[in-house]
Amino acid sequence: MADVIEVRSLTMRYGDLVAVDDVSFSVRQGEVFGILGPNGAGKTTTLECIEGIQRPTAGGITVLDTGVHQDPNAVKLQIGVQLQVSAYFDYLTLNEILDLFARFYGQERSAADLLTTVGLADKANTTVEKLSAGQKQRFTIAATLVNDPEIVFLDEPTANLDPQARRNLWEFVREINQRGKTIVLTTHYMEEAEYLCDRVAIMDQGRIVAMDSPVNLIRELPVPYEITAATDSGYDRDRLVSLASVMELANDSDGGFTLHSSDAADTLPALLQWAASSQIRLTHLEVTPGNLESVFLSLTGRALRD
Amino acid sequence: MIVRNRQALFWSMAFPVLMVVVFGLIAREPDTSIHIAVVDYANDSVSERLIRSLDQVANYEIDIRVDEQTAREEVGDGDLSYLLVLPAGLAATVADNPPARLTLVYDDTSPISGVVIVSIERFLDQVNLDIANAIDRLALEPEGVLTQDVTFIAFLLPGIAVWGIMSFSVIGIATTMASYREKKILRRIMATPLKVRTFFVAQVLAYLLMALVQASVILGLGGLVYDVPIVGNLLLIGLVIIIGNIVFLNLGFIVGAYSKSVQAASGLGNLVVLPLLMFSGVFFSPDSLPKMLTAVVRFMPLAPMVETVRGVTLEAKGIGDFPTQIAILAVWIGVTSLVAVKVFRFE
Repeated sequence: MADVIEVRSLTMRYGDLVAVDDVSFSVRQGEVFGILGPNGAGKTTTLECIEGIQRPTAGGITVLDTGVHQDPNAVKLQIGVQLQVSAYFDYLTLNEILDLFARFYGQERSAADLLTTVGLADKANTTVEKLSAGQKQRFTIAATLVNDPEIVFLDEPTANLDPQARRNLWEFVREINQRGKTIVLTTHYMEEAEYLCDRVAIMDQGRIVAMDSPVNLIRELPVPYEITAATDSGYDRDRLVSLASVMELANDSDGGFTLHSSDAADTLPALLQWAASSQIRLTHLEVTPGNLESVFLSLTGRALRD
Repeated sequence: MIVRNRQALFWSMAFPVLMVVVFGLIAREPDTSIHIAVVDYANDSVSERLIRSLDQVANYEIDIRVDEQTAREEVGDGDLSYLLVLPAGLAATVADNPPARLTLVYDDTSPISGVVIVSIERFLDQVNLDIANAIDRLALEPEGVLTQDVTFIAFLLPGIAVWGIMSFSVIGIATTMASYREKKILRRIMATPLKVRTFFVAQVLAYLLMALVQASVILGLGGLVYDVPIVGNLLLIGLVIIIGNIVFLNLGFIVGAYSKSVQAASGLGNLVVLPLLMFSGVFFSPDSLPKMLTAVVRFMPLAPMVETVRGVTLEAKGIGDFPTQIAILAVWIGVTSLVAVKVFRFE
């Protein structure tokens, strides 16, 4: 699989503020690559440097074998961009905006087709301001597809959407990816990164602190799983701790206990078997997997969302 | 897009048109007649002849009254400006015991009363001479030379057209740029291969076209409704308007670059436009300003443009007749273009 994007030692400084600090990564063709981090981590700046909207202070970026600094227009022809705060001209209809943008690329894409793809065909002759938030996001994505790009960049694609609209958009992103397009997105929602991304780069204060698939990142957690149980019976603590893949007994009180496990799939059967053979009745059983939020917390000591 | 922004369109078109209408109405030939009430106690041949002669004077309108007291009260109230009282026995007094004193009751607060009194005295001088059968040995032939052979509304019209264009261009571009920046539309454009230059050229062309439309509407309205003679070459008028408008567009870009929001752009734009408007040749000739101001005004972009448009429109002058003005405009185009490019920013 070829690398469609290569970022080498990207640095962006605004006066004294270092927004992006020596960031390097590659994106493979056809993958969904996410950059996860809190607000202010430098995600948007990184993205905009790759897109050619901003000029980095240092470092090099290659997109589809073209240097972004050397030939930005060649790169722009092949990519689709959705900005974080995306707005379009107030007084043009959706159709007209898409036609206009198509002309920027020297193409005559059918605006009607694009609108149908995002389910906005019936709004072809309305203006952007009359759309709901979800519809606006869908339209923005239609606009990114105007030139049938190889790579689609989405900056916080589901910000300000209600859960239903968010899910719909996720499905749509999946669909675009299945058509063969490489997707690079930024987000501060861990569920989004977990659901959509093949690989995630976790970014904090301008640096990448971890990069891998979501599953692998979670597995690397100090505490990948928490298993909490309630019981009235007494139990043998030492036996509990010796169960498969148990790392420690985290919580131990009259009503129950919490185990930290490195692999719930291992520990659970062992736990249930032990409970059955010791005639201990578990009244409540809960398995909490680690998630990217915990990954972030363990790596930086801070929460993803403030 | 500019056309669809209905609010802005309304103000840019309707406002100047409104100005034209209002000024046209104001500038109608003012009523310059002087009303004189006359109470005649004499009722003889002399008084009759006097009244008839008074009536024949061009600006006088004579109103015969019976009740002197009421008439005096009216003067006191300001309802009547002049009351002439002809005493009884006029003919006799004139013949045997001149002079016959004619009382003129007048509104002392009227600024022209002095002039009117002199005028009536002159009239009486003439009557005296006639009665004495004196021959006029000297006579005055006034010959007025019009420095501008145009009505007030015709004088105003090009100024209003230029004013309308200036407001629309400066405030229009400033607010558009501020809005684009606020909405990050420019950023979105930057993500596409479209050259930023192309984007701006398109905006400028759109506004230049609008300027021509505006000018046509305003000048056309003046020509049709108020009979303002538009005698200049239309292409030339269009050319001058385009040249001047470039300065305004540049000013708009500069204002837009310094405005953090659409409201700020609108406010700042007005701040630029209004002083230019006051100190220009739109409403009156800059000559009537104190000497120092006149010099300043001459070098502002608005005055030369108004003078040129006025000359070309009303007097069919050519571009060559306005070398100073064109030179001043050219300098302004150069300076504002440089500044506009320098200060412009996307964010």
